[in-house]
Amino acid sequence: MKTLANIALRNLSRQKRRSILLGSAIAFGVMIVTLINGFAGAFSENVSENFSNLMAGHIFLSGSEKEAGGKELSVIRDDSALTAAVKASGAPVKYITRRSAFTGTLIFEGKKIRTNVDGADLEQETFLRERLLLKKGSWDAMTEAGALILSEKIAAKLNVEVGDRILVQMQTVTGQNNVGEFTLAGISYDAGIFGQMMSYANLAYVNELLGLKPGEYQTMGLMLDGLKHTEKSASDIYAGLSESVQLFTRGEKDENGAQTPFQALLKQQKKESWEGVRYRLFTINEVLSQVQQIVAALDTTAAVILVVLFVIIMVGITNTFRMVMFERIGEIGTMRALGVQRGGVRSMFLLEAVFLALGGAVVGILLALVAMSIISLINFGMNSPAFILMKNGHLSFYLPPLKAIGNILVIAALTLVAVASPAGKAAKLTPAEALRTSK
Amino acid sequence: MGIVELQNVRKVYPLGKLQVEAVKGVSFCIEKGDFISIAGPSGSGKTTILNMIGLVDQPTSGEVLLDGKPTSSLKDAELTRLRHETLGFIFQSFNLIPVLNVWENIEFPLLLGKTRVGKDEKKEWIDHLIEEVGLSDWRKHKPNELSGGQRQRVAIARALVTRPQIVLADEPTANLDSATGEQILELMKKINRELETTFIFSTHDARIVDTADHIIRLRDGLVTENRRRDEDATAACASADASSGAAGA
Repeated sequence: MKTLANIALRNLSRQKRRSILLGSAIAFGVMIVTLINGFAGAFSENVSENFSNLMAGHIFLSGSEKEAGGKELSVIRDDSALTAAVKASGAPVKYITRRSAFTGTLIFEGKKIRTNVDGADLEQETFLRERLLLKKGSWDAMTEAGALILSEKIAAKLNVEVGDRILVQMQTVTGQNNVGEFTLAGISYDAGIFGQMMSYANLAYVNELLGLKPGEYQTMGLMLDGLKHTEKSASDIYAGLSESVQLFTRGEKDENGAQTPFQALLKQQKKESWEGVRYRLFTINEVLSQVQQIVAALDTTAAVILVVLFVIIMVGITNTFRMVMFERIGEIGTMRALGVQRGGVRSMFLLEAVFLALGGAVVGILLALVAMSIISLINFGMNSPAFILMKNGHLSFYLPPLKAIGNILVIAALTLVAVASPAGKAAKLTPAEALRTSK
Repeated sequence: MGIVELQNVRKVYPLGKLQVEAVKGVSFCIEKGDFISIAGPSGSGKTTILNMIGLVDQPTSGEVLLDGKPTSSLKDAELTRLRHETLGFIFQSFNLIPVLNVWENIEFPLLLGKTRVGKDEKKEWIDHLIEEVGLSDWRKHKPNELSGGQRQRVAIARALVTRPQIVLADEPTANLDSATGEQILELMKKINRELETTFIFSTHDARIVDTADHIIRLRDGLVTENRRRDEDATAACASADASSGAAGA
């Protein structure tokens, strides 16, 4: 077998141009697929990290308080038990954020838009300034109580400029209608489909609008030392909290027909009967679990491209090896006469094809890695519409090694299928037939 | 009993809708150590008979016996193994493997089959054969860097490397000039004498036929002459030759 493998390898160099052409086709296909896989590999982490920054946390704790009449208020009035449990868990928390938020209607000169407004302690959340670049206005103006930052898209829809006063209609935590007034302090670069999530105001003013007292808030965000700590830390904190406060059961995706674990948590909350104050713990992964569906879709796309490209390449490989078989028919006869068994002839052709596929696949992966390195050097800036998909303004890639190995194996398998027929025909030739044909 | 025995062997090839009878019931016997020429004009059935002796082709009817053992019932894998163990081949067009150098081409048959030869023994034997065929300075060269005569020398060494009982040579000098052809024949004869390997070669060149100890002449798929240089060949393998259609037997 070693000898036949050696011959198969050397046979590749006999028609260099043909081998290079076929190998290049394989390499190109693998490069495209690897790039998609690499993008999908980093997509989930980038989106989660960027959302963590915008939502100010990897793990979130929010409170629900039942009033005497059964009405439910979203508020955390005293977070001492929460901070104690976080500290006791040993989770690698970089900082804790406290936010309140509402969904209301912004009104300016007859134009209206419904949007979410996050109240944040902007003196504490300095990282938000780094993440959210302003196209117009200044962060310094956010010291004003009713200051507001809107994304480019929302500002354009309302046709507002920095300094304009914007009316807001919303509901307090108790469900009463309320009206407030914001002054536009800044317009952030558009973040595409996520623009509506990026309206920021001062926590104190949002609390006032919501009817919360100073020091109260709705959601505690725990920013960890990296996304990877999220799930373990969440479990540890949840376990610690369950001993000191009432908690909603963490959601399971498949319960109640919910699409995401976070939706499941909310549905569960509605079903359960409880009194007093309950807290829910959820993670960025649960909120963004649909990102995983996007990753799965990207991977499926990559797989489809892989198959389509290789069906085309396979036709080429099959035809080429059919030609190769006729070219080498004399050699086949000689080898069979000298004592090479049918399986040996078949193996030799299959090995040649596998070497070609492996060579092409490895080159394709190397090319993709080079392309990834070059692309990731380009700084698209934090004001890019696709910044949510990027890492610090750069497109980033992560190619799971198993995926790369899997692609190589798929290509090797497809190539084997492509060459099976000509290799089988070569093996079936009787030595006399092969020797006669070559004369 | 000879080392090779053909018993009423027929070979019919389909040619479109027609059936062409290339060999029409041939019987003869070849003794161990013979240097035998199968002679005849083109289309007389020389190559077909050589192929059947070499087990690369199977007779339509009749039997080919190698060392007394019938071969018609053997399966492809067994035939391949038997070919590898018993036979060596020299082809008209040399048929070397182009991607292997001289040394590797000669080594190739030793790497097939189940029997493994020790590394030192193998090297010594191949080096000896290379020396015998006069290619000591060419061992690292690829076939396309050799002349026709040199290629045929490599083919001879390759045919001998497994120490076969029989070497089959199909028109070994046809693609060579006459001087080189004579050298090749001399070499084959020398090896025949030294190693007692049976050489069976086909040719249509009358000058080459005369160098053989045993001559079988064919015409239109039939044996027309079967004789040793010094005696009647029928005496050695009476049972086979008795049923032969050999006119000269």
